Amino acid sequence: MKCDKFIEALGTKVKILEVTRQCDDQVTALVELNDLPEAVRFLYYDMGGYLTTMIPNDERSINKHYALYYALSMEGGKMFEGDEIAQDEKCFVTIKTLISPDSLVFPSVTPLVPACVWYEREAYDMFGLVAEGLPDKRRLVLSDDWPDNLFPLRKDAMDYRYRPDMKEHYMEPEYEFLKPEGSGIIDVPLGPLHITADEPGHFRLFCDGDTIIDADYRLFYQHRGMEKLAENRMNYDQMGYLAERVCGICGYAHAIACIEAAEKAINLEIPARAQAIRIICSEIERLHSHLLNIGLACEVTGNYNAFMHIFRIREYSMKLAELVTGGRKTYGNVVMGGLRRDMTGVEIKESLRILQIIETQVDEVWDAVMDDKRQMSRWKGVGILDKQVARDFSPVGPNIRGSGIKRDTRYDHPYDFFTKLDFNVSVVEGGDVFAREMVRYMELKSSVSIIRQCFELMPQTAIIVDPKFHVKPENYALAYVEAPRGENVHWIMQGSAQKVFRWRCRAATYNNWPSLRFQFRGNNLADAALIVCSLDPCYSCTERVTVVDIKSKKSKILTNADLKNFARTQKDSPLKDLR
Amino acid sequence: MMKLLDISKKYGEITHKYPFEPYKVADNFRGKPAYIFDLCIGCAACGIACPSNAITVQFNNDQSKLIWEFDCGRCIFCGRCDEVCPTGAIKLSEEFELAVKFDKSALIQRGELDTQYCTTCNKPFSAKRLVKYSFECLSKANVSEKRLEEAKEYLCMCPTCKKTATVATFTSGKEMVIE
Ligand code: SF4
Ligand code: SF4
Repeated sequence: MKCDKFIEALGTKVKILEVTRQCDDQVTALVELNDLPEAVRFLYYDMGGYLTTMIPNDERSINKHYALYYALSMEGGKMFEGDEIAQDEKCFVTIKTLISPDSLVFPSVTPLVPACVWYEREAYDMFGLVAEGLPDKRRLVLSDDWPDNLFPLRKDAMDYRYRPDMKEHYMEPEYEFLKPEGSGIIDVPLGPLHITADEPGHFRLFCDGDTIIDADYRLFYQHRGMEKLAENRMNYDQMGYLAERVCGICGYAHAIACIEAAEKAINLEIPARAQAIRIICSEIERLHSHLLNIGLACEVTGNYNAFMHIFRIREYSMKLAELVTGGRKTYGNVVMGGLRRDMTGVEIKESLRILQIIETQVDEVWDAVMDDKRQMSRWKGVGILDKQVARDFSPVGPNIRGSGIKRDTRYDHPYDFFTKLDFNVSVVEGGDVFAREMVRYMELKSSVSIIRQCFELMPQTAIIVDPKFHVKPENYALAYVEAPRGENVHWIMQGSAQKVFRWRCRAATYNNWPSLRFQFRGNNLADAALIVCSLDPCYSCTERVTVVDIKSKKSKILTNADLKNFARTQKDSPLKDLR
Repeated sequence: MMKLLDISKKYGEITHKYPFEPYKVADNFRGKPAYIFDLCIGCAACGIACPSNAITVQFNNDQSKLIWEFDCGRCIFCGRCDEVCPTGAIKLSEEFELAVKFDKSALIQRGELDTQYCTTCNKPFSAKRLVKYSFECLSKANVSEKRLEEAKEYLCMCPTCKKTATVATFTSGKEMVIE
């Protein structure tokens, strides 16, 4: 069976206490606490794994322990030609370990596998589990003034409605940014709120002149506690809708991933037609998301004309969504066992017409953008994500495919209907902004073709199974969907009474942030907004920016307009009177 | 650069005059659920189906009315209420202009239905319209006159009294009319 090969190899390195199989391509190996770092490292580097997600869980009610699940996607390192596992052997291996509630300490994996850093920081925030040896122990998810001994995801910690008192702003603990050593470094905060995208995120750029030498960031200003909310009261009918609201762009991918995790946990097969429609909707989502991002990448560099054209085309993709689902954005369609809304022949016909428009017009505009030397010079060679950094941090989506690594969940672990479809993974070498935008352009084309194929092959079956299935307490599974920004991974452990015991939702960008720091280094301040944008994180530029010159102790407040202007024209550095 | 200008020329003006002229949404668009009070029987099916608790059906304080309430601020336009409503009293409309200015209460819609009290213990348990609706359904269902008369009586009893009454009939040895 799939996965056995990896378990066998792992067994030669560490002692495996127990092996359980969740579904055809997912197994879990329980190891001793002290063997954890070595087990994860071995699978990650020696066997060609990428970190998919890590789930801390409070299982005191089940086995009197806390548990950690490190889920690795076994697909090959993909660093060079042939460095890949055979298609029919790709699978997920989860390393599980138990932590006693008396010690609450586990050995950190981060020093061996850097990709774990955010997950281990979050494990402390949410469960109070301390990663021994973790180089960066700052808070990640919860706000800095959150009470010290309150760990929200512990089952006995708090009611989901509880809101601790906020501290006065002057009492709030300072968040420490990681600073590079040296003199003459200018500290440029970008944040905390983006005025046009409404996305909060605070970046600190450390500059020497106009060159960024390092960066650090504080995010999660918008943590909504959804996992806690769902665990306490939601049934599976409601969860799909809640998951859909995780993101304003790739919401549908979250909804499918969440529901598929619940379905996989009990091995529920959904009808082929429902699978096809799920794919169609998620590819429509990709169309509008990629068009948005390519548009914005033009806009931050001042190319308004192209931006407007791309958004004009994007409107067609929104229309397409409205046509086939009845809503422009939140489709409210996925339920456990299938879908709630079918597509009619008329809708399919009209969709094919719109697809044709999108396809031809995207080509026209892209051609014009590529022709624009000024635009190309702003994209090429900027914000490079080094291939080795990418290997170490497990980024996902166009971010990693732009660095020449062929990682795409639709290809590595085809879910739903994807095995029946024909498509090429878009990979571009280079790792710069241009490469990432190129990947997006290529994916626009392949999305159009995928949607067409789905329409052509549209199976004539029901769209929902007979709702006679039962969830099984303590069963769990991973589900993954390639969202526009990379894979969204959901992990669900079912509980009793049709409720979830634990829901772990990992959005694509979560894996992309940690390596951003390396992408900033050596770039011009004017490109900062562009680099963030090319990651497609719901990008961040700023309302107001304070600049502090450490050497001269001068500071200056920049307005959004100043910085935006500098990003567009690259003239009149706003920092020049500080030097 | 010139290429982009050519494209502009080719496609011309594409912006809509909205809000100065209406914006046409697709067929089957899922907009704000429209409620027709006259059709609502207060069965609460919508309230149970609604995943985001946008609809609630509850008695008011003195239990004289059954209050159907819809909070548009919570609605996610999924259309489940529309699917389950037996009378078509709630249906998704094409309305999408839902913003209110500061006054959040403008998002709330209410319907007050007369309460049906139990004929035996006088406890409020349903809406008059629901009882009437159930009776109408039965009348159309081809049941005998006598059975219908019985049903009329039963329908106006609260679940507890209904149970007691049924048990009483069975144990009293009285013959039941069986279809
Ligand atoms: S559309 Fe959905 S969310 Fe809105 S009231 Fe109906 S059931 Fe509730
Ligand atoms: S009749 Fe329709 S709208 Fe009224 S309570 Fe029943 S389901 Fe809701």
